[in-house]
Amino acid sequence: MTHNPSTTRLYIANRGEIALRVIRAARLLGIETVLGVSKADIDSVPATEASRTVVLGPAAPRLSYLNTGLVVHAAKATGCSLLHPGYGFLSERAELAELCEEEGITFIGPTARSIRQVGDKLSARAAAQAAGVPITVGSQSIQDTTQALIIANQIGYPVITKASAGGGGRGMIVARNADTLRRNFDVAATAAREAFGDGTLYLERYVETARHIEVQVMGDGAGRAFHFGERDCSVQRRFQKMIEESPAQILPSRVRKRLHQCATDLLASINYRNAGTVEFLYDVDRQEFSFMEVNARIQVEHPVSEEVTARNLIRMQIELASGRLPPLTQQSIHVNGHAIEARILAEDPQRDFMPTPGRITKWQEPRGDGIRVDSALRSGASVPPFYDSMIAKLVVHAGTRAKAIDRLRWALDQFVIEGVPTNIPLLKVIVDHQDFRRNQITTRWLEDTLLPSFRGAEAIANG
Amino acid sequence: MSKLPDEDLEALIGSFERSDWREMHLRMDGVDLVLSKDREPRIERSASISLAPLSFRPHSAASAAAPTAAPAPKAPIAVEIPDGWLQIKSPTLGTFYRSPKPGSPPFVEVGQKVTPDTDVCLVEVMKLFTTVQAGKTGTIRKVYPADAELVEFDQPLFLVEP
Repeated sequence: MTHNPSTTRLYIANRGEIALRVIRAARLLGIETVLGVSKADIDSVPATEASRTVVLGPAAPRLSYLNTGLVVHAAKATGCSLLHPGYGFLSERAELAELCEEEGITFIGPTARSIRQVGDKLSARAAAQAAGVPITVGSQSIQDTTQALIIANQIGYPVITKASAGGGGRGMIVARNADTLRRNFDVAATAAREAFGDGTLYLERYVETARHIEVQVMGDGAGRAFHFGERDCSVQRRFQKMIEESPAQILPSRVRKRLHQCATDLLASINYRNAGTVEFLYDVDRQEFSFMEVNARIQVEHPVSEEVTARNLIRMQIELASGRLPPLTQQSIHVNGHAIEARILAEDPQRDFMPTPGRITKWQEPRGDGIRVDSALRSGASVPPFYDSMIAKLVVHAGTRAKAIDRLRWALDQFVIEGVPTNIPLLKVIVDHQDFRRNQITTRWLEDTLLPSFRGAEAIANG
Repeated sequence: MSKLPDEDLEALIGSFERSDWREMHLRMDGVDLVLSKDREPRIERSASISLAPLSFRPHSAASAAAPTAAPAPKAPIAVEIPDGWLQIKSPTLGTFYRSPKPGSPPFVEVGQKVTPDTDVCLVEVMKLFTTVQAGKTGTIRKVYPADAELVEFDQPLFLVEP
């Protein structure tokens, strides 16, 4: 194998579709890639497309993808000067960013300091407040149930408990009255401790008609930040997003403008570097938004922003980290049309979303204008049981939201996946539902309204 | 003879106490430490891990694999193994070292007899050194990686004739 010493090499500390995205973006820039895989992913599509693949360890993430030392060692020993962490796994571990820096590897993401600052929810709230961003009515960290009850009275019910150390629904309990809070506070603290190693909780006012709206930002690390529009991710189950779209049509334009300003102000104020997302909770009744958290990584749902802004965010991440990105201006970033992403999961919605790993016997992606599939799977590939159950992202782009929904519905019909049950039947029901079409949903809608009727309909169909 | 600093020792004992391990055997240059939660320790040597002394950098770590090194061929080279012969495989991705420190003789040479608890090499991951033991009885017939080369998880390191 011939070798040009000036070639830049990038290590990918991830797997699946995001690994493939990074490999392909690097290829566009003439950058070689090294993919560290677990034993379970040796024959994966990303492993065949990377310039080189090294086997880190056995299938268990803790012995492979989650082992910071192994990952950095592999990157260094293979001569990589850049490292992309993807999302999930080690992407928001400050230790990884730190270790990369010590070893002379450029981490494609924020600094360890930023990761820590926004990773702790209480310090993130403080930064948001300092930047003039509205924050949810809430508390500082809470010692015990007694203190929680006092503070909840001040905030006013309903309230939600949140873990200071992390998100994803762990440690979150909605209490509509003091009795529920009294019975569940310790349960939530235990759940937070088990998930994040830190049981610290705080309280926030719980908004009943809430939508999850977030802003995609790119910071230059020197006090400037640019946004790529917002995403509405209100179709969620257990705080896990299932459908995301851009723009968020629910927003009046003056609110949208202020939302973008708040997101960029916050990340600019902390000299944030590379891609990040500022998540907000939008109170539909009051037309008010409040800061929730910053995700210090590229997110799963970034493609909808790429579609409406016609930008390749992964490529931009690499360019920014390697000093190749031409200076950005906000005026040059335009949002056109409407994009929707549906997450295709190897989960069976009829069996309480039980993961369904296995061998894919048939895989046929929908094709057409405005249809994009991000996936690392194909016919004959296997979905290992050790990792996340997302197997594809189906992304559509059209002139209007209504047209985008029609296109998504068609594409869902055309997507053939056999061998592992998926959530496609559920996605079709969501997309057909009048609440979704009329955009009259909240973050509770999927669980409270749609799923009960979906299960009922399934029971009748099978009965 | 190096000495384990007290704070390191305390940290080690603390980690050990919090862990669900019953026993731990630490061997470093000049230090041999056995921790056990049982009255009568039954240390199995094959479970022991060697740590590099903090003050002592036996190898210039990954610098041997210079950043100019070209990516190796993707497909692992098919290795012919005579019937009944065995391979010792790497327990982790890391840097392969044949000897305990630079300049000293290798742990094992081709032609040397080994038993399951013979130390055969070190594999280093970010300055953490794991001693690999033969795990089988026989004669070393081949050493696959070069010294200071990157080895991957489960990669064959030695060929052993039983």
